[in-house]
Amino acid sequence: MSGRKIGEVILDLQNISLRFGGVKALTDISFDVREHEIRAIIGPNGAGKSSMLNVINGVYHPQEGKIFWRGQERRKMEPHEAAQQNIARTFQNIALFKGMSVLDNIMTGRITKMRANFIEHALWFGRARREELEHRRRVEEVIDFLEIQHIRKTPVGRLPYGLQKRVELGRALAAEPAMLLLDEPMAGMNVEEKQDMCRFILDVNDQFGTTIVLIEHDMGVVMDISDRVVVLDYGKKIGDGVPDEVKNNEDVIRAYLGAGH
Amino acid sequence: MLYREAGQFKTSYTADQQLFPIRQDRIGVLVLLAIAFLGVPLFASDYWFSAILIPFLIFSLAALGLNILTGYAGQLSLGSAAFMAVGAYAAYNFQLRIEGIPILVSFACGGLCAALVGVLFGLPSLRIKGFYLAVATLAAQFFIVWCLTKFPWLSNNSSSGVISTQQLIILGHELKTPLEKYLLVLAIVVVLALAAKNLVRSATGRAWMAVRDMDVAASVIGIKLLPTKLLAFAISSFYCGVAGALYAFCYLGSVEPDGFSLDMSFKILFMIIIGGVGSIMGSFLGAAFILLLPIFLDVALPFLAGLFGLPFSSATVSHIQILLFGALIMFFLIVEPHGLARLWQIGKEKLRLWPFPH
Repeated sequence: MSGRKIGEVILDLQNISLRFGGVKALTDISFDVREHEIRAIIGPNGAGKSSMLNVINGVYHPQEGKIFWRGQERRKMEPHEAAQQNIARTFQNIALFKGMSVLDNIMTGRITKMRANFIEHALWFGRARREELEHRRRVEEVIDFLEIQHIRKTPVGRLPYGLQKRVELGRALAAEPAMLLLDEPMAGMNVEEKQDMCRFILDVNDQFGTTIVLIEHDMGVVMDISDRVVVLDYGKKIGDGVPDEVKNNEDVIRAYLGAGH
Repeated sequence: MLYREAGQFKTSYTADQQLFPIRQDRIGVLVLLAIAFLGVPLFASDYWFSAILIPFLIFSLAALGLNILTGYAGQLSLGSAAFMAVGAYAAYNFQLRIEGIPILVSFACGGLCAALVGVLFGLPSLRIKGFYLAVATLAAQFFIVWCLTKFPWLSNNSSSGVISTQQLIILGHELKTPLEKYLLVLAIVVVLALAAKNLVRSATGRAWMAVRDMDVAASVIGIKLLPTKLLAFAISSFYCGVAGALYAFCYLGSVEPDGFSLDMSFKILFMIIIGGVGSIMGSFLGAAFILLLPIFLDVALPFLAGLFGLPFSSATVSHIQILLFGALIMFFLIVEPHGLARLWQIGKEKLRLWPFPH
């Protein structure tokens, strides 16, 4: 691996519980994420992995527990506030803006950094114009990084699945996030696409120092690229540690292979 | 061969982000503007101005307003005619009650009043979506028309709320002839259309489209949903309001609240559906289709009947006209559900490669 140094705890989740009516999605889960690390969340279907990400970026509000972001306790917040705190994410089912081009989708990722108001936009004058150019330059860097130059003007609805996933990563990267939440970035991909995606994730982590929280079902990928893994099952944490520890954890083996395997 | 992008290289982002990046488009738009401002006044008759061109431009503006809300921001609305009514009555009252206010300022104020009302009726959009929101905006349609009839102050105590608009005076010059009115309407529509085009290619437009396409993802990216939706309601209603003021001042001269009926809202909605949802040019194409086709059929049908010696009464002609109109709408929607604007775009893409199929 590279020279990146894993730093202090950047996100600390303490005793998180989330319920939807009588359904317990998450029960008393605690774990932390350190700066610059790749942290994987794994678990069988319905274990609460996506709920966990939704808690981190403010889509769901847990009934119990505390969340510390950079050492400060976080109050209840909305998704757009998470974006302002530099937390970006991608979705399990691609959530791109279908009617827009690749370029516009990625430009949208920079929206929190744009200051011009709608009157300036309507006149296309001064700050609006300057910002448009400056952010276009940054977006082109992301496009270069992800090697999608050839499709920048294509409407995303027309792209194949693997490329759409890549564009979605681009939209998240355009925000220059401190922390990137990836919800199954490799689901449904073939081996080559997975390799590409792994390379991008590692490069992002390495070049920009972005902290990555990752949900993934492909154990080969998870064990290969992540620094630490947390395992959920039925909304409870059953394992936490470096890949090798988790691999040999009895509870984890039981959850994946069933009792008395 | 005429429409070739090949060889037009963009060497800077400024060039790539032009309003019309393709040279032929730029020339086309300039030619069109020259025809509209210089050519048409030379040839068109008063009938053309006051019965065809002025209403076409005004409804294009209203459709443009609705397209911003429905086509770009994805919020379905059935209140466009009501917002037009607000614009018309507000402009009338500004003229009436404020001594010496310039007519253009009262048009703008009419638009702003409509924007305010639009924001008010846009508030439910945070909670409800799609057809349910359309029903909420339907409330605007009925409430505003009722209001204008119920409170005589709004129509200066005239019976049944009819208002007769004041003279159109700009810089001491009174606009009387249809030609002058046409030029005024045209200028306003061109300026507002350009502003709309700028809006939708900027961050504002991207935020609208993001909310339209996937609101959860939009909020995760950092877009605040309510302000974004309300801004769309405000700007859309502003456009409708200005269209309403023009409708009263430059087209009819006297209007009543019932004139701004649900029928008219539907008509504007059909304009954007047929013209192209989420397209500036589609608003114009749709308005042209809905307004001009009946007139065209009116003229063409008796002519055709005469050609084949068929004994058509005028009643039959009007029946056939409605039938044909409906059939054409269905035909276009089946051929291209995304409207005339998409047909135009596909045509352009084909032209790019012509005469080769690939």
